[in-house]
Amino acid sequence: MAAAIQNSLLAALPRKSYLRLAPGLAPVELVFGEVLYEAGDPIRDVYFPTQSLVSLLTVVEGHLALEVGMVGREGMVGVPLVLGADVSPVRALVQGAGPALKMDAQRFRNELNASPPLQREVQRYIYAMMVQISQTAGCNRFHVVEARLARWLLMTRDRMRSGHFRMTHEFLSHMLGVRRVGVTEAASALQRRKLIEYSRGSINILDDRGLEAACCSCYQVVNGMHETAAA
Amino acid sequence: MQARRTPTQNHLLAALPAAELMRLAPHLEPVPLPLGAVIYESGGAQDYVYFPASGIVSLLYVMNDGSAAEIAVVGNEGMVGVALFMGGGTTPSRAVVQSAGRAWRLDAARIKAEFARGGALQRLLLRYTQALITQMTQTAVCNRHHVLEQQLCRWLLLSLDRLPSNRLVMTQQLIANMLGVRHEGVTEAAGRLQAEGLIDYRRGRIRVLDRAKLEKRVCECYGVVRRECDRLFAPAPALVAALAA
Repeated sequence: MAAAIQNSLLAALPRKSYLRLAPGLAPVELVFGEVLYEAGDPIRDVYFPTQSLVSLLTVVEGHLALEVGMVGREGMVGVPLVLGADVSPVRALVQGAGPALKMDAQRFRNELNASPPLQREVQRYIYAMMVQISQTAGCNRFHVVEARLARWLLMTRDRMRSGHFRMTHEFLSHMLGVRRVGVTEAASALQRRKLIEYSRGSINILDDRGLEAACCSCYQVVNGMHETAAA
Repeated sequence: MQARRTPTQNHLLAALPAAELMRLAPHLEPVPLPLGAVIYESGGAQDYVYFPASGIVSLLYVMNDGSAAEIAVVGNEGMVGVALFMGGGTTPSRAVVQSAGRAWRLDAARIKAEFARGGALQRLLLRYTQALITQMTQTAVCNRHHVLEQQLCRWLLLSLDRLPSNRLVMTQQLIANMLGVRHEGVTEAAGRLQAEGLIDYRRGRIRVLDRAKLEKRVCECYGVVRRECDRLFAPAPALVAALAA
């Protein structure tokens, strides 16, 4: 395999473990807005994003309620399989189009059973993800929409490796669990401060430093966790 | 008379096959969980995992500025210290005893070694981790979408499920700290529940008078967490088959 491994969870595996896994990984292109699983769906495949981004969204009373996780090149989609559940409790929605590696659920289970290094990496990733969820719970409790939007934009940027992406108000309101008018106000505030440019569903980060200063401390916390997990 | 103490008072330990439990038993150390005791501090080292036999441990997410909010509660259905076997380092969460009780604890090296063996303990702990993730997720959603009164109902019901009676020893200030809200908000919400005869609340003691009404009042978050937990302990088909063979 000549190309560098672009998913950091896979890249952290010992070479031997990775080579064992590689034949079962099929490259796929994830399409913006594609639903990989609905909440309650059986998990038929797992995904390792390489240059794509998947949002994990909870559904409350039949409506999308809140983003509780964001999976990019640092992780995998399909974590419940590792924990002994074969149904997805959340909707997995492609939020950033791009390539990923996909593996059949049964094959992944077999590989996991056969590979302690894979188990270790995946478990560490799951723990980092738990920190992300608890941080979301805390952040939702304490921080204002503007700071949360800034954090969310930075987390998206890090996973997409680009400061330019598509995003509707509607979508952002689900991500942050606030009404659309709340998103509009927060986005306008960031735009007035010349931190971002936002028009017709397209976001452009203009000032990374400024945005980092505008976001809540939760951003550093989650970042730190993934760096620890990937170290 | 001293109450009989056995590790099987904890549901996770009770769900282990006899051989695995017997292997663990000599290393399980009974410890008290005194009210208010901090089991882990945010960012601190974790030397043990705890399997509560009684009482409730609250997991709080601690923000950089020191404010904290509860993200999950753990009673005798679960365990405290997931980071140890999942390979997480220090974490931004604090574990505090919210209702006094007792636990069985196991040192870090032992739980890591036992987990690494695979087998029933590993499967059980991973399933518990999934249930814990569900609880954390639901807390995040609830914090965002539901009014304080519903959150209080959820919190009361999750606590009651982990206690032997319908009584809770808990000041309003402590509840406010757990939920990460202002004390006045809790007073108001508890006052309404009291006026309607759902709870009786005086001098730091809560008695639930009408659980059925409380369950009607609560948001769906309670049911989601409850079902996930029940599922955890539902006998798996393979296990049933193995027992029948």
